Formats: sequence, structure tokens, C-alpha cells
Amino acid sequence: MSDEREITLTVNGTEHTIEVEPRRLLVHAIREDLGMTGTHIGCDTGNCGACTVLVDGEPIKSCLMFAAQADGSEILTVEGMEDLPDAGPELHPLQEGFKEEHGLQCGYCTPGMLMAGKALLEENPDPDEEEIREAISGNLCRCTGYQNIVKAIEYAADELDDAERVAADGGALAADTAGDGGPDPADGPLYEADAGDADTFCGREDCCGGPSTDETHPGEDPPAQFDTEHMGGDDE
Amino acid sequence: MSSEPDNPDVPDAETEYQHPEDDGPDPEKHCGHGRGGMGEEVSRKEDKRFITGRGDYVDDIKKPGMLHCEIVRSPHAHARIEEIDGSRAMAMDDVVAVLTADDLLEHDLATMPTLMDDTQDVLVNDKVKFQSQEVAAVIAKDRYAAKDGAEKVEVEYDVLDPVVDAEEALKEDAPLVRDELEDQEDNHIFDWDTGNEEETQRAFDAADVTVEEDMEYQRLHPAPIETCGAVADWDPGKDKMTVHMTSQAPHAHRTLFSQVSGIPEHKVRIVSPDVGGGFGNKVPIYPGYVVAAAASYVLEQPVKWVEERSENIQTTGFARDYEMTGEIAATEDGEIEAVRVDVLANHGAYNAAAQPSKFPAGFFNIFTGSYDIDAAYGSLTAAFTNTAPGGVAYRCSFRVTEAVYLIERMVKVLADELDMDPTEVRRKNFIPSDAFPYESATGWNYDSGDYEKALDKALEMADYEEYREEQRRRIENDADKLLGIGVSSFTEVVGAGPGKQCDIAGIEMFDSADLRVNPTGNAVLRVGVQTQGQGHETTFAQIVAEELGMDVDDIVVEHGDTDTEPYGLGTYGSRSTPVAGAAAAVAARKVRDKAKSIAANELEAAEEDIEWDRESGEFHVAGAPDRSITITEIAAGAFMNHPDQEEPGLEATNYYDPPEMTYPFGSYVVVVEVDRETGEVEFEKFVAVDDCGNRINPMIIEGQIHGGLAQGIGTAMLEEVTYDDNGNVTGGDFMNYLLPTANEIPNFETGHTVTPSPHHPIGAKGVGESPTVGSPPAIVNAVTDAMSHAGVSHVEMPMTPDRVWKTLSEHGLDIGPADNVAFEFDDDGAGEPADD
Repeated sequence: MSDEREITLTVNGTEHTIEVEPRRLLVHAIREDLGMTGTHIGCDTGNCGACTVLVDGEPIKSCLMFAAQADGSEILTVEGMEDLPDAGPELHPLQEGFKEEHGLQCGYCTPGMLMAGKALLEENPDPDEEEIREAISGNLCRCTGYQNIVKAIEYAADELDDAERVAADGGALAADTAGDGGPDPADGPLYEADAGDADTFCGREDCCGGPSTDETHPGEDPPAQFDTEHMGGDDE
Repeated sequence: MSSEPDNPDVPDAETEYQHPEDDGPDPEKHCGHGRGGMGEEVSRKEDKRFITGRGDYVDDIKKPGMLHCEIVRSPHAHARIEEIDGSRAMAMDDVVAVLTADDLLEHDLATMPTLMDDTQDVLVNDKVKFQSQEVAAVIAKDRYAAKDGAEKVEVEYDVLDPVVDAEEALKEDAPLVRDELEDQEDNHIFDWDTGNEEETQRAFDAADVTVEEDMEYQRLHPAPIETCGAVADWDPGKDKMTVHMTSQAPHAHRTLFSQVSGIPEHKVRIVSPDVGGGFGNKVPIYPGYVVAAAASYVLEQPVKWVEERSENIQTTGFARDYEMTGEIAATEDGEIEAVRVDVLANHGAYNAAAQPSKFPAGFFNIFTGSYDIDAAYGSLTAAFTNTAPGGVAYRCSFRVTEAVYLIERMVKVLADELDMDPTEVRRKNFIPSDAFPYESATGWNYDSGDYEKALDKALEMADYEEYREEQRRRIENDADKLLGIGVSSFTEVVGAGPGKQCDIAGIEMFDSADLRVNPTGNAVLRVGVQTQGQGHETTFAQIVAEELGMDVDDIVVEHGDTDTEPYGLGTYGSRSTPVAGAAAAVAARKVRDKAKSIAANELEAAEEDIEWDRESGEFHVAGAPDRSITITEIAAGAFMNHPDQEEPGLEATNYYDPPEMTYPFGSYVVVVEVDRETGEVEFEKFVAVDDCGNRINPMIIEGQIHGGLAQGIGTAMLEEVTYDDNGNVTGGDFMNYLLPTANEIPNFETGHTVTPSPHHPIGAKGVGESPTVGSPPAIVNAVTDAMSHAGVSHVEMPMTPDRVWKTLSEHGLDIGPADNVAFEFDDDGAGEPADD
């Protein structure tokens, strides 16, 4: 297995071209080839969600996606949150929420939880508790009992809502929250929920790296070289 | 102003730290002096790196030339190895080495001691004893190549009959698991007993009422989200082995590593970096760690080994697996006269439980619980089986969880037998608050408690009486959903422990703290315990802030590196606050004592005239509060103008040997709805009132309670490591071993009472494990309570819908379409339609 191919991944706004074996998992490409170790691995079977990243705006379990499948995609990992257009001067409101509401203990599931929360708020800026619980139900946390994670996401929703209201009122607060060197807010959000669905889901909830939402991905043809139906996690 | 204790070890806690007990959520978030001391909801110092992806876990470590280790595991539970052929693997481009037991034997590394003085194969020499046991290791240039290599290792097995069940294992004709041990002719490991058998028997003989119930505490796995792993790095230039590993006890692991490898202990460095949850799973030494170290030693390159989830659940320390029979003897009006318990413990293929060595059954003899019971007797038999070794303390102080489950379930069984409210039975039997210190019938010395107060508070928070009425209404109206109300009033024994009683591999279970104040007035505290999410970097800094009048932001807490931290026994068994927290307070008080001398010098007063004022955090001359000095100014004096009679500098170390255990307690009330059609259980209300003595950081305590309650729900409702008769693990990954998600966990209502520990320097008791210990019996009590009017006395955990439905059906409580389907059940209650 050495027929490597060149792929391009735009991670947190920076384009990377790397050579990978077709079987290389996206999570290993991110962690080992690109050296961004904030994304974690917890189960190898797509159950725990510690490896969740956003691929073209969709929450994906990166242990269930080949790196080659993400060729040409824009990817958001935890390392990119501080630089998002809706981030504050230091942290994104979701990151602030996790700190303020004690939404983490050992920190291992946290990056995945942040990504799941980000995907939810993109789609639904004002979720109720049940919607939050549903949105993070594909991410396991062994420390917190989830209650404070729910509060953390509620905190972020409130903060983002406040920022948006200020912006709508003609204030400039929302725009000036971008961090130094971050993407220019004038270019619009980097990772819009409707920026195009990743073309790898089987459509089943919690499967094939899909989000744990009711959303399905109709009418999509996976790339011919991959059988993506209920793909196994690895070669075990 | 507070007074100074003569001896720094004497608690001044009760008077100084006690906060209002019924304050609820603090409106101002800060209730202390505002410097981040005791009782303040300081936000966590460790958070920033975790929320920004800058944590540093073992698998994040990358070293130049680092190789990867993949372990070849046995597909059989019991088999003799005929031959291992690694040649096809070795022929692969990126494979560097294939290791077997023979290779390890050359370096005397083929076996390793368990924490209970058994000897476990690092790589199987001769006979596989459980499925997925380590047979060979492939070392390769990357993760994928190592995996490819492992698939090419050919192992020939002579498959033997396994024995999986502990009861079967003790039968005469059972396959012998440990035939390599001389004198081991059966699968019996040890017998243990406690209490007074005859006295207990007399009480049972004379009792008005006796009740008995069989219950199993199923095999669980702690399943932290980060699996176990290590990066071993032998430095041939310095003859030094550095192992970064997922360790809850780095110093103990250093000693064990040295003993196993023969490398002198001062040439071994263990670093436990950020650890993604431990819960007892990361207390033992596992073969993977040793293999990585051996490979690094042989190949003189760094070697990384990280488990996959299935390897974690199938081979590393499981918890519980106690089959218990509980009995209570009582008077007609519910006074408990005696309790008796008999246990059959499945220890797996090796005796690899993790507990103090003089306690083969851990602290199970706390099974008299919160009750004043005159006579008690417990007996236990432990057996080897062809299952993974373990018996670790999963978020538990060494089998306290099993003990609390037993007594809290039995009190409910007794209450049902007597047709009494279970809270009344509890009240009748609680150890009275004025009876402390209290010695139990099994020899524990309870430090302090006020059980009725915690129960009262929990019942009030839970609207107990209203739910009881609602429960009656539903039964009268033949409602589709039954209501059950479960209570547990648990007491734990934590903070192991006094060196005379408690040791791990011979090392007394003290812990340590080393506090160094810098010339600029900030400080570094190094501790012998290690955090896996408990927040030590924050709470230990709060202890020092409180004791020295410093700002919490001026204190950094370091832990986990054996080259720099003082020796300690690690974090498990809720021992960090009771033991290392005490050490931190005592070290800070030693610094304070020296600070007085420097203050006297700076203020040009006599040392005996210097007073410390906790409120202001300053030292001043008695009777002249204006002549004061802060610790920052004193630090400068210690380095720039030290008094002649003192050494320069400002630091202190304390190795704390606790005089006694601590006994946190609480009362939990759980209200559930049981669906008579589907057997599903929904949580209506979940109230947890905890008393962990004086509280350091209420926010962190509440977080710990939430997490432990969620684990309790996992235990009661979902989790079990299961095996088939051939010894195949059938619940060995996250598709089959079900952790609760956000959808299964309700919102919790937490409350607290404060009963300080009289012997602890800051009056604290430890809290992390109370919810995991206290909640499973409350939940099972609730589910049985929903059906007890029909004679249901027990439902085994995990209480899956099919198991609950079966119970409903057997007692004529089921309704609906299910009536029309003929179901058959196997022994463990898993049901399938008969015609399927």
C-alpha cells in the first residue's frame, strides 16, 4: 500500500498539500501530517466524536473519513476557532462558554464538543436544551455529565446573539471581534452551513461521520473509488 | 480574626472555612476573601489549553525517529501457543522488529508484577489466558506499517476450553486457568472475611425479620475517552529511560518500572502529561507500557504505543464483577440488628486488582454503610477465569461502590418487606450525628457525619412526599407509566491512607507537596498526585492562596513528572484532596511559619508578636494592624534580606501520612417513570445532596458530581462488559459497551451540607467518587420501587428496557402490544421474539 496521492486540505484557512495513502484517515492526516493535535481519537468506531471536525461546514467524525475524501475541502479544527469571524479578541464564544460554565474536565472530548456546538449554532442560532443535547449526542464525555456542556453552548448562543444584535443595530462590534491575522469578516463566514454538503454521508444519523441531526443528504453520489456505505473505522 | 493552631496539622478548618450550608448558588460567585482561596468558584487554570487545542496528551507526543508499536492479540480466550512466526512481518519494508516472549526473556522482561503481587505475562509465554491477551508486538516506522505488520504475524494456537464464569471456575472439573503456578490446583485465588460471624449468626437466629437478596454488580470498564498509551524513550547516552504515559500514579509506576526493568530508579523518569480521564483505568501497569519501553531499550529509538478502544475495554483493568448475596436481620419496626454478605469475585486471569495490598477485597468492609449496626459479617471468595484481569477501583475507593450498592439495596428490600417507607428505615438506623467518631462493626473509624440532615435536604429538594402521592395515584388509576422513587444515603471511606494500614506494592500511601515561593512573590507548588480532569492545578492553588494570603493567579501547580515532583502515590480513590491537599496545606503553613520570622525581621518586631490575619492575608504586629506586610514583601525579604537565624529562601515540603481515612456521605433521590409497555425508564427528577466536608471550589465539586452521576446512570442503565461461553468479549467496544450520551442524562439538582473532617488540616474529605458510588443503588431502588407493589424486589443492572419489561411481565404489570408477542429469554434477561 504505497500508492500515495496528492491532496489539498484547507485547514483553518491555510492550504496544505500533502501526499497520503488512499486509506489514510483524515484524523491521522490532521494530527500527524499537519501536526494539529487538538483533534483527538477516542474510539476508532465513530461512536465517541472526539475526532469531530467541520468539513465544508459539516461536522464529520474524522476517524471515519479518508483524508483523500476530504481533498479540496475546507476544514475547521479546534485550532482555528480563535480566528473565526465571530470569535472575540481572544476566544470564540463557544470556547468562552466551556470555560465559564465549567463545560470540561479532562479536556479530551472538548475539541469535538466545540465542533459539534459550532455546527449546531451555524444551523440553529437559538437552540433549546433538547436540540443541544441531540446535537452533541454523537459526542461522548465521560467527565461532565453533559449538563455544563449544554450550558456552555447556550452561553455561546446568547453571546453570538448579542453580538449579532449589536451588528444589526448598526454597531460595529460583531465585525471587530475578529482576531489578529484572522480571516477578514468582510469575506463572509468561512464555514457556512450551506457551503455545500460533504459528499460522503450515507445519510444515516450518526453514521459515516454524519451529524447527529435529522438532516439527510439526498441525491449525492460518493466518489467512485470509495464505498462509503457504513464504512468501517479502520482495518481492525 | 482567626487564631493560629499550635500544630499545623491540627485542624483549624471548622472555625475558619465553614461557609453557610444552605447558600445555594452563590450570587456573587465568590464567597471567600476574593483572592481565590477556599470556597471560591475560581475558573480553572487548565481550561485555556484544552479549549484551544493545546493540550498535551500522550498520543500528541512526536519525537524524532519515533517508532510505533502494535500488539498482536489472541483471538482465543484459552489456548496454548504452538508457534509464532514473525518472518512475513519482518519482511515488510517499514517493520523494524517483531517481539515475542522469547525476546523479552533475554532481557528478563517477560513478566511483570501486578499490584496484588501476582505475575502477569507481558507477552504470552506458553498459554493465552484471556481473549485479546498480548501475544507479540510489531515495531514499525509508522502506525499503519505497524498494523500491517501485526496482521502478518502468524500464530499457531492449540485451543483449550475456557472458563468464563466465576462459579463455574470453582467447580472441580473446571479448566485450570493458571497451570503455570506451582501449588495452584484450582481457580481459587483467596478467601477473605471480616466482622464477627458467630455474633452475626446469633442476631439472625433471634431476629423478628430477615431478608435476603442476590445481586450482581456487573463487570464495568472505566472507559476514559482517552485510551491508555505510552511513548518510551531510552537514552543510551545517559542510560536513562523516559516514559510519557497515561498514568494516574507516576511515582508508583516509576518504582514498578525500575523493579521490572532493572534500570535503577534514578535513571527512570515517568511523565504523565495531560490525561484524558482515568477513573481507575490508568492505575495499573499494562503490558503495552512495558513492551514500548523494552522495544525502545532494544532499538535505542523512541517507541509509541497507543491502544485502540477495543484493546482498552478488552484487556485493561475492568471494575466490579461481584456476585453478592446480602442479608439483613431486623426488628419488626425496622431496626437493623445485623447484616451479612457473601461475595463471589471474578478477578479474571490474573489477580490484578488495584487496591492497598493489605485489603484483598478493598474497602468492601464498609458495607454497614451509614447505619449503626451491632453485628456484621462479610465473606468473599475470589476466582481466576479466562477473562481480562482487573478489579480496579472505577471512580471508587477500592470496592466501596460494591459495598454501598449492597447495603443501600438491602435497606430498600427490608423496607419493602416491612411495608415501611425506606427513608424511615434509614432514619431509624442512621449513626446519630453525636456518635462520631464512630467505630463500625467491621472496624472503620468514621470521622464525622450528619446523615439525617443530608437526607432531609434531599427529600425536600425532591418534593418527596408529593411524588409518593403521585405514585399512589398512578397505581390506583392503573396508569401506563409507573412512578418509582429511589433513595440512597451512602457513606464512603476515602483518602487512602494511613501508612500503617495502606500501601501499594509496599509503599505507604502518603502524599506530598513541595511549595517554593519566588523572590517576586509568586510560587510553584509541586504535588505527588496527578490530575486527569479533577482540576488540581486550580484547587491546590486555592489551598495555598488561602494559607498564605496570595492571589490564586500567583500560584502554579505542577504534577505528573517524577523528575521534578516529590514522591506521591497518585490520584485515585478520592485521595488527592484528603492526602495531597492536606500536604499542600501543611507545606503552606510551614512556609507561613518561616514567613513570620522574616516578617519580624522586616517589621523590626519580635517573632512572637507577629500575627497572621486570614481575612487580609497579611502578617502584622500584634496590636498594631498598620504595621503589616504581605507574603510578596516577605518573599523579597527571604531572598534579599534574610534574617541571620534563618536560611535564605522561602519553601517547604510536606509528606503527609493521614492519621485516618475520611468519610464523605450524601443522600440521593431519584424519581423515574417506568413504561409498562416498553420497559423504558425515564428520569423525572435527580437530586444529589453531598457532604464532602469543607469545600475548596464549589464549581469543580458540582462538575465532579454531575460527571459521577452520569457514570452512575451508565452503570445502572447501560454498561456491561459481556462474554460469551467461549470467552469472546461481546461488549468490547463503544458499539457494544454503551456509554451514556447527552440524550440519556437528565439535568441534576445538586445540594450540599458541610460536616468538616475533624482530622484533616482544611477539614475536607474528597468528593470525586461519591456520585458514582451513591447513585446506582438510588436508581435501582427507584426502578424496583415503581414495581414493588407487585412484589418486585430487585432488577439487575444494567436495567435495559428488555430486562425491565421482563420484570414487568413476570409480575403482571406489562401492558400493550407486547402482550401479543411470545418472548423467550435467556439467562441474562436478553430477550428475542421466539419466532425470530
